[in-house]
Amino acid sequence: MKAFEVVVARNSRHAVALLAERVPTAKVKVIAGGTDLMADLKFAPSSHAPDVVVDISRADDLRHISMTDAGLSIGALVTHTEIMRSPVIRDLFPALLDAAHTIGAVQTRNLGTLGGNLVTAVPSVDSGPTLVALDARVTLLSPAGQRAMPLADFFVGPRKTALKPDELLVDILIPRENLGKPACFLKFGLRKGQALALVNVAASFWVDWDRNVFVAPRIALGAVAPKVIHASSAQAYLEGRAIEPAAMAEAGRLAVGDAKPINDFRASAEYRRDLIAVLSRRALEGAYALAQSKRSGKVAGGLQASRRGER
Amino acid sequence: MAKVTLTVNGEARTASVSPETTLLRLLREEFGLTGSKLGCDVGDCGACTVMVDGKSVNSCLMLAVQADGRDVVTIEGLATMERLHPLQQLFEDKGSLQCGFCGPGIIISAKALLDENPDPTEEEIRDALAGNLCRCTGYSKMIEAVRAVARAGRDERTAGSVA
Amino acid sequence: MDKKETDDKKAAVIERESQTEALREMLRAPAAAPLAPLPLETLVPEVRQQTPAVRQRATRPDARLHGLGQTKYIDDFYLPGMLFAKIKRAGIASARIVRIDTKEAEALPGVVAVVTARDVPCNSFGPSLKDQPVLAGERVFHAGDGVAAVAAVTEQIAAEALEKIEVEYEPVTPVLDPLESLKLETPGLHAPNPNIYGHKVIRKGDVEKGFAASYRIFEASYRTQMVEHVPLEPHSSLATWDANGRVTIYSTLGRITLGRADLARTLAVPMSRIRIIATVVGGNFGGKNEITTEPVVALLAKKTGRPVKCTFTRPEEFTSSTTRHPIIMDYKTGVTKEGRILARQVRLVLDGGAYCSWSETTLAKACILSPGPYDIENIYAEAFVVYTNKTMTGAMRGFGAPQVCFAYESHMDDIAEALGIDPLEIRLRNVLREGSLSPTSQQLHSVVVRETLLQAAQRFGWNGAEVRA
Repeated sequence: MKAFEVVVARNSRHAVALLAERVPTAKVKVIAGGTDLMADLKFAPSSHAPDVVVDISRADDLRHISMTDAGLSIGALVTHTEIMRSPVIRDLFPALLDAAHTIGAVQTRNLGTLGGNLVTAVPSVDSGPTLVALDARVTLLSPAGQRAMPLADFFVGPRKTALKPDELLVDILIPRENLGKPACFLKFGLRKGQALALVNVAASFWVDWDRNVFVAPRIALGAVAPKVIHASSAQAYLEGRAIEPAAMAEAGRLAVGDAKPINDFRASAEYRRDLIAVLSRRALEGAYALAQSKRSGKVAGGLQASRRGER
Repeated sequence: MAKVTLTVNGEARTASVSPETTLLRLLREEFGLTGSKLGCDVGDCGACTVMVDGKSVNSCLMLAVQADGRDVVTIEGLATMERLHPLQQLFEDKGSLQCGFCGPGIIISAKALLDENPDPTEEEIRDALAGNLCRCTGYSKMIEAVRAVARAGRDERTAGSVA
Repeated sequence: MDKKETDDKKAAVIERESQTEALREMLRAPAAAPLAPLPLETLVPEVRQQTPAVRQRATRPDARLHGLGQTKYIDDFYLPGMLFAKIKRAGIASARIVRIDTKEAEALPGVVAVVTARDVPCNSFGPSLKDQPVLAGERVFHAGDGVAAVAAVTEQIAAEALEKIEVEYEPVTPVLDPLESLKLETPGLHAPNPNIYGHKVIRKGDVEKGFAASYRIFEASYRTQMVEHVPLEPHSSLATWDANGRVTIYSTLGRITLGRADLARTLAVPMSRIRIIATVVGGNFGGKNEITTEPVVALLAKKTGRPVKCTFTRPEEFTSSTTRHPIIMDYKTGVTKEGRILARQVRLVLDGGAYCSWSETTLAKACILSPGPYDIENIYAEAFVVYTNKTMTGAMRGFGAPQVCFAYESHMDDIAEALGIDPLEIRLRNVLREGSLSPTSQQLHSVVVRETLLQAAQRFGWNGAEVRA
């Protein structure tokens, strides 16, 4: 690993000031938990290595899970372990807890942050699908001020985001209208622990109980396109349609057409297409089961929801 | 150079290191605490696991400067030859370690688990050890040892409440 | 355990001890005295007799220090004045080396020495064929070949220096497919030697007669992939020379005697001047049975006059240590209507990678075991190992046995399904029995394949297993 300078940011404003100061003249990287960055830097050729690393791990203003007028705000520095232990998230979005649980292992979840996971933006990013399915928005801070955008647009391609070199991802917001929207996250990896997703899927929708139809359905797919995508045709198909097993299965089939999976050493595109259909259907079933239990007052824990999908 | 002051196994330690130094290298090369191992250097194998402020982390992924002011516990902080930590005793009794290279990391991961959850289920133990690879495939005896420590703790607590 | 039982056990131990007292006496003889021939029988336990050690609980003597984190593996040693070495890897599967320029690396502050193939007194070694260079000289045969090595005051400087070594390559078309390599017209990697560097045939009975008498003949091809040992402890060694020209090498080596011979050869130093200290090995699995970094650190230590340590990075473990042989396995089996095997013909093509390593041993074991644990009268098994421009393959747990096991057991399942016979049943009809002849016509004793299968079937609840057992 090539030598670099480390500057420690006291808070997000300080971090942004440091970026503004150093970015014009040096190659700068931001470190939070370091689980992706450090692994990348260890064997990177020195031409790719940064001159300066801005350490935001002490910027405590980014370490919060709080309810605001706009919705549920999650600071970029919140670790995967903290998401798994948050009573608010357990209550409102067990799918987020499930997603966090599938990332790495205890040690990496203790270090790794939600912001870091999203900024790394690998196509299989496990935090991505659930948040995209819940129409999450991200806030980017720079000396010029803040801007916000849908997470779906923040992802641009493999390891590419809309983040400019002097910007910092500070906040992830699940909008107020989606608080408590039933969602389910499922991941298929080659192992249970420390696996990258061959396919990961999140489904979310409201139920119109009077008519028993899908309202505002979302299916988000990971690892099957250059970035996390909405299964648009499946979503359009489900909107206003009666909730029944055949509709969920058909949505799964339609989701396959929305994806562009690749062949690689982990799996063939064909295998991934099969997974998309099955996992999308199961995620819809999982979200529906959660909706039903919420309605009857029994909130199924997040883990149970995901285990149903593992069969 | 960056000055780092932290608590290691209960003692205040200070070192001056180049900024890109990892916590693992600080421990091994500056403090001579070679119990934490470098296995993969990218956070996959868990041989470098230490506790920072009570949480298990991969010390190969953390910069030494990020550990400044924090409380670090390594395998060397658990016991001496005469007085073993119950985990070390049970790992010995159950034959949980073969080549031993993964051992310090696994024992630290198990300690981090038991500190927070003294009576874990087998599923929880497996989850807690998922970030520690062993190629001699000794996992079942490790899980057995962690269960035995938890059981002993439970018996102790029960005995205490009766008395 | 009650007292009687304990006493019985003690008595058994004592009795056994007195039986072997004569043997012990002989073993105690000083090494210089002529050894009396050992009575071989007494060394072999009686069939179905357990040694007294069985069922005794034992604590590993090394467990205490392992658990305390006090066991010292090589990477935990730091000698005064020690330098750190890194090896530059070719990163290209097949090429001629036109030029290596190490000047810029040598000029880097903190770099103490750089060595290339020119510094190696005898640049070839290997457990059987001496076809592996310490550092590639004129030719690169696989991407993990070392082309130069640096010793520096820190690992980081050594790594940085590697980037400053310039190597100009003239690419040569690589041979990657073992079946391609098998063809006689394919140019030899190590010409004038042919690409087929090992061959074995096992013949028993007459397969053609067996096939002619068969009710059906099944043919199938199976392939396995390359597997890395991934020991948790990466390969590592540390060399230091004394004032009298003797070198001490601390190494994670499983076979120090062989390593000493290879070192004597590559360093051109008498074996009596080489001392290898095998430290605690953090996982071997067959991957640490030959030298890797040892001659490099020895040369760098000699050149610098300081101790030098080199530890593989995890990527180097995958590219520059040995791996398990991928094997292409063609099976042809003739059976009766009842599923009894009359003849089996096997062809194995082992992907040997760039260098021989332990291929010959692997080839032989894979070939001998390829018909499986079945009593087959007519066998023809032929195995080849060929060079390819890939990471070398060598020893790994089982020496070729797991690969052929995957093939013949898959084949048995396919045959069972086609004939409509229960997979357990077809095996029971064919397994080796007491007194059966092995594929190499060795008469077998103490054969419990049948019992093992039945017990296993019962334990995992195979259909109908209860009835048979």
